[in-house]
Amino acid sequence: MDEKMSIMVVDDEEIVRESLFHWFKKYGHAVETASSGFEALDKLEKRPFQLLFVDIKMPGMDGIELLEKVKTEYPDSMVVIITAYGSIESAVKAMRIGASDYLLKPFKPDQLSLVMERISHQKRLLFEHDYLKGRLEKITRFDNIIGQSPAMEHIFTLIPEVAQSDSSILLLGETGTGKELVAKAIHAKSRRAHLPFIAINCGALSDTLLESELFGHQKGVFTGATHARKGFLEVVSGGTLFLDEIGEISPKMQIDLLRVLEEKKITSIGSRKPVDVDFRLISATSQDLGKGITDGSFREDFFYRINVIMIDIPPLKKRKEDIPLLIHHFLKKYGHETTKQVDRVTRDAMELLKRYNWPGNVRELENAVERAVVLSQSRTLGIKDFAFLRSSPAPLSRPLSLQEVEKQHIQQILEEYNWNVTQASKALEINRVTLHKKIKRFNLERRV
Amino acid sequence: MSSQKKPVGVVPLGDVSEIASKVIAAHISGYFNLSVQILPPLEHPEYAFDERRFQYNAGIILKAFESMRFKDYEKVIGVLNMDLFVPIFTHVFGEAKQGGKFALVSLFRMGKNPDGSPSPSSLIFERSAKVALHELGHLFNLLHCREKKCLMHFSGGIQDLDETPTYLCRYCSTFLKDHLLGQSE
Repeated sequence: MDEKMSIMVVDDEEIVRESLFHWFKKYGHAVETASSGFEALDKLEKRPFQLLFVDIKMPGMDGIELLEKVKTEYPDSMVVIITAYGSIESAVKAMRIGASDYLLKPFKPDQLSLVMERISHQKRLLFEHDYLKGRLEKITRFDNIIGQSPAMEHIFTLIPEVAQSDSSILLLGETGTGKELVAKAIHAKSRRAHLPFIAINCGALSDTLLESELFGHQKGVFTGATHARKGFLEVVSGGTLFLDEIGEISPKMQIDLLRVLEEKKITSIGSRKPVDVDFRLISATSQDLGKGITDGSFREDFFYRINVIMIDIPPLKKRKEDIPLLIHHFLKKYGHETTKQVDRVTRDAMELLKRYNWPGNVRELENAVERAVVLSQSRTLGIKDFAFLRSSPAPLSRPLSLQEVEKQHIQQILEEYNWNVTQASKALEINRVTLHKKIKRFNLERRV
Repeated sequence: MSSQKKPVGVVPLGDVSEIASKVIAAHISGYFNLSVQILPPLEHPEYAFDERRFQYNAGIILKAFESMRFKDYEKVIGVLNMDLFVPIFTHVFGEAKQGGKFALVSLFRMGKNPDGSPSPSSLIFERSAKVALHELGHLFNLLHCREKKCLMHFSGGIQDLDETPTYLCRYCSTFLKDHLLGQSE
């Protein structure tokens, strides 16, 4: 038994608590005591314990009741039951509920030593199991894409299948659903995995800047082009190019990219010499491209070229069964990053989080958990830790689409800044060109 | 290692053979290099007798020691012939609080070999000395050691005790030296 553990001794008899306290201290364990089941639960609420020694017969809440609560609320904590009323029934019941072992008072010192050896062995096995499970998940799953809903299971099956081909992929999904993560997973599973993965957000760049970024330019072709620069289409050589918000690119850029996809050649700005390129294209959008085709803003031939394989990533509200799993993942992540021992969410808070609509999808959920972990004073997050979510507008009789919300928000900011596009774009943290595009697309006008 | 200002006291409780106290004192002096004094015997600790268990409660005797203070001694080890217990355990060979001042050693269970046959007195004294050194180790804050060939390895029974050496492993020995040096500074 070389591993130091955090142990809590729960017994209503002070002499027993003291005896075990001093015994475990001799092994260097971190020991605390509680005189009742209620006190034990209070302490568990504040910080985790790896092992609990619990007396069966206690006034108020008996050891079996405490064991049941611990196994439900804190399944990682192991429990050894101590009883002076050594009936086979109570021991069997305790073991059935999930006790790791039991001892009949009084016991020989070496019996306790043996129990500790067994606990240590169980802990080692659990650690190995968790480690191997983690390794297996890394092999069969994809980093940071969490889900066990049928929709996500389908995506997990699709990723390795589509990764084998070079066909263009179009990822559809609302903002924050994890389109870039899926793109990265496809790249990681493809034969191009050891080559670059380059992601460009088309919505964040003006047309000319995007052209320069993608195709590169020669020295002196425009103001500021002090030296020649290779475009991402060339730099990516052999890897995967991920174009996010593809619905934002201009018809001219659509023609240019269509040509590249067909000829596998590019000509940088200011040059006449075409260069061979080899990349796999993954595009993504949160827009309805079909609508764009109908109104003429999106080319049909380009749409078919980028949409050889389409993967639709469902919004979080349509896969609410994944919410507990995602919360658990983010608690682990931010607990580790902030070194705070926050690892639980109360049942009420979990219900609230499952009911919430998550317009910002997984990204919003991640931010909510991060904020709650950073500000939390206890190891358990409750409803009050997510109060900021409740302040969001109540659901309307007809839910607004993301586009409608975006339109309303842009209109509001523009009015706030008296339609000064420079100031409004700063407030929205997008560039002016994008804001102009959005004003045009949403047909926004100054309110009289 | 002998840098402590006050000696360790060995105090017999009730009817304990003089040789037992002397052997324990000699082992403390020899293995831990500490100055030791054998104190005049104290009365038989009738106050700690538990009528239901027919054993003596080690916790009660240690509490009584606390009220006696023994201010001229760095640590005090009580030696007695009676069977000791702490409430959760059936029995203990000895008892000490981690980092405390007082410890107890019982000779009661030292007289029988694992097969039930009687042990020679030399072996009884050797076992008692090992328990005394082990408990004294706890008083100097040494923890139970996972190294089987170390005095601080936990012994659950007589067989374990016989297999445990009278010396500390390198790690525990260094820890004890550092602890004693820290105390003397």
